[in-house]
Amino acid sequence: MSVWLQTLKEGAKARIDDARTPVAERGAQLLKDAVWPTRKTEAWKYTSLHTLSDTDFAVGKTARANAQTIEGLDSSDLLFDGVRWHLPDQFEAGVKVATFSNLSPLEQSEIAADMMPVKPGRHLFGAINDLMVQDILVIDVEADAATTRPLRVVMNAIEGAVQHGRVWVRVAKGAKVEIIEQAEGEGQGLSTLISEYLVGDHAKLCHSRFQLVGGEHHAVGGCHIKLGEFARLRSTLVGFGSQMSRLDVDVEHAASHALAEMDAIYLLQGDELFDLHSTIEHAVPNGTTDENVRGIVTDSAKAVFNGRIHIHRDAQKTLAELNNRNLLLSDSARVSTKPELEIYADDVKCAHGATVAELDEEAIYYLQSRGISERDAKVMLNFGFINELVDKMPNEALGDWLRSKLKARFESMNKVDA
Amino acid sequence: MLSIKNLQASVEDKQILKGLNLEVKAGEVHAIMGPNGAGKSTLGYVLSGREGYEVNGGEALLGETDLLDIEVEERAREGLFLAFQYPVEIPGVSNMEFMKAAVDAKREAAGEDALSSKEFLQRAKAACKQVNLPLEFLKRGVNEGFSGGEKKRNEIMQMMLLEPKLCILDETDSGLDIDALQVVAEGVNSQRSDDRAFIVVTHYQRLLDYIKPDFVHVLADGKIVKSGGPELALELEAQGYAWLDNGAEA
Ligand SMILES: Nc1ncnc2c1ncn2[C@@H]1O[C@H](COP(=O)(O)OP(=O)(O)O)[C@@H](O)[C@H]1O
Ligand SMILES: [Mg+2]
Repeated sequence: MSVWLQTLKEGAKARIDDARTPVAERGAQLLKDAVWPTRKTEAWKYTSLHTLSDTDFAVGKTARANAQTIEGLDSSDLLFDGVRWHLPDQFEAGVKVATFSNLSPLEQSEIAADMMPVKPGRHLFGAINDLMVQDILVIDVEADAATTRPLRVVMNAIEGAVQHGRVWVRVAKGAKVEIIEQAEGEGQGLSTLISEYLVGDHAKLCHSRFQLVGGEHHAVGGCHIKLGEFARLRSTLVGFGSQMSRLDVDVEHAASHALAEMDAIYLLQGDELFDLHSTIEHAVPNGTTDENVRGIVTDSAKAVFNGRIHIHRDAQKTLAELNNRNLLLSDSARVSTKPELEIYADDVKCAHGATVAELDEEAIYYLQSRGISERDAKVMLNFGFINELVDKMPNEALGDWLRSKLKARFESMNKVDA
Repeated sequence: MLSIKNLQASVEDKQILKGLNLEVKAGEVHAIMGPNGAGKSTLGYVLSGREGYEVNGGEALLGETDLLDIEVEERAREGLFLAFQYPVEIPGVSNMEFMKAAVDAKREAAGEDALSSKEFLQRAKAACKQVNLPLEFLKRGVNEGFSGGEKKRNEIMQMMLLEPKLCILDETDSGLDIDALQVVAEGVNSQRSDDRAFIVVTHYQRLLDYIKPDFVHVLADGKIVKSGGPELALELEAQGYAWLDNGAEA
C-alpha cells in the first residue's frame, strides 16, 4: 500500500466536510476499497506507479497559469493555477463558464445531478480527483448555440506540487463547440486533469487533449465523454511521455446514431512512458466509432495502448474501427498494444488492428527519385505518419501549432540516432 | 547526354531488358513506344536506380556520369527525372515540404544555398499555375487523393521545379482527357531547351501531336527493335506492333 494513498484515505472525512464540490463524497466512497495498483492490476499492468507511491508533493501550491497564445487562434483561455481557475470576464453568446462554487445553489443542484453519470467509477485517479479537487470548472453551452471561439483549458505542471484539475462540460442539444485541453511543463510532481463531457442530441464537440508534460512529472488525465443521439465527437489526443504519463479516455454512445472520430498521437523518447487507455461503449444501435492511434517511440521509451470497443447486445448496426500503428526508431523502444473489440451484437461492421509499422519502400524510392537522401526520406515519412492525423484536424491554426510542436520534438528524437 | 549501351536488367530473376541501346543528345525529344510488358517502365526504373531492378550487363552514362554506379538520389541530383506512370501517394507529407526538400537537396549537391521559403513558394506557385493545379495542392499530402490527371500534372510540376537535364515521362498521357493532355504537353514544351532532353514513353500518337519528337523508337521484348523519325509513330498507330515482331524475328 502506498503511503500517499493511505494519507488520502485517512484525510477523506475531513475533505468531504470542507469540499465545495458535489463529487468529493463519491470519491471517498470509491476510494474506500481502492488498493494501490501493482503490476498485477490489469489496468496498470505496464505502467508502474512505484515512483509515485511514497512521494510527498506539496498540496495547494500555485503557479502563475500562463498560456502562450496560439498564432491565428482566437480562443477564450481558462487557466488553472494549481488551485483556482482564472477566467476571462466575457464569453461568446451561448456559452456560460464559471466555477462550480460560483454558481447559484439552484444551478449547482441542477448540474450536480448531471455530473455523476459521466466518468466511470473504476479509475483510481478519477476517484482521487473526485475527492481532492477544490473546485470544478463548468462550461455550459446553450442549446443550438453555434459557437466559433474555441475554449482553451490550460493546466501546467507545477514543480514539487500535486494538483487536481476538473472540468465539466455540457453541450446542449444542437449546439456546437470546440474545446482544447492543454497541459505542459515538467519537474517533479503530480497533476490529474479530469474532464467530463455531456454532448447532447445533435450537438457537436470538437475536442483536443494535449498532454504534453515531460521530464519527471507524473500526469494522469481522463477524458470522459457521453454522446447523445446524432451527437458528433471529433477528438485529437496527443501525448508526450514523462516519468509517468497516463490518459484514460471513455466514450459512451448513450443514444443512437452518434459518431465518434478519435485520433491519438504519441511521440516518446529517452526513458519516457505514455500510457493511453481508451474504452468506447456502444450500448445502443447505429453508432459509429473510428479511432486511429499512432505513435513513434525511440530510445528506451515505452508506449502502452489499451483500447477497447465494447459493443453491447442491442448495439446493432454499429460501425467501429480501431487501429493502432507504431513506429519504433530504436531497438530498445517498446510498445505494448492491445486493441480489443468485444462484440455481443450480430449485425455490426468492425475492424481492429495493431501493427509495428514499416515504412513504405515505394514511398522512400519516390522521395529519393527526387533527390532526397534515404535518411531524409525516412524522417519525412516518419513524421508524415503522425502528421496525417494532424492534417485531419478541422481547426487549421491549431493544427499548425500542433504540427510545429510535434516537429520540434520529432527533430530532437532524430538527433540522438545520427 | 544519355548513352545507353547493351543494357541488361532483370526483376525477380526474370530478364526484362535484353541489350538495350539508346543515344539521346541534349535538346532532343525521343519517343518510346511498344507493347505492354516490353520493359518501358523497367527502363525508367533501372535508370533511376529502383531497388529490385538488377542490372546484369551494359552501361548507362548521363553526360560523364556513370548512372548505374550511384544512389537513386544522386542520379536525381545529377539531373535525371522520372515522371512516374503511377505516382505514389504519401499522406502526411505535404507536396510543398516534399518539393522544398528535393530542390534544396539538389542545390546543396551543386554547392548552392537553399532557397528561402519565399523564393521557393514563388517558384512553386508559378509551376502549379503552369500545369493548372490549384495552389491548395501544395499544402495537400503528396498525391493524396489526387485524381489520375492531377497526379500526372503534379509530376510535371515537380519536373519544372527540379529543372532536370534528362526527363523520362512514363505514360504521362495515360488517363488524361484532351484538355489535361494539352496542359501537360504545354508544360513539357515550355521546358524544352537546348540543354535538356526528353524521353517520352507513350502508347498514343495523340501526345506526339503536341510534343513533337525528333526520334521514335519501338521497345519490344527488352530491346529497341526499330528507330525512326516522327512518321514511325503514325505507322505504329495504324498497324500496331505485330508487324515488328515478325520483322524482328525474320
Ligand atoms: N516488380 C516486378 N516484379 C515482377 N515482374 C515485374 C516487375 N516489374 C515489371 N515486371 C515485369 O517486367 C516486364 C516489363 O514490365 P514493364 O517495364 O512495366 O513494361 P511496360 O512498361 O513496357 O508495359 C513485364 O513482364 C512485367 O510483368
Ligand atoms: Mg509501363
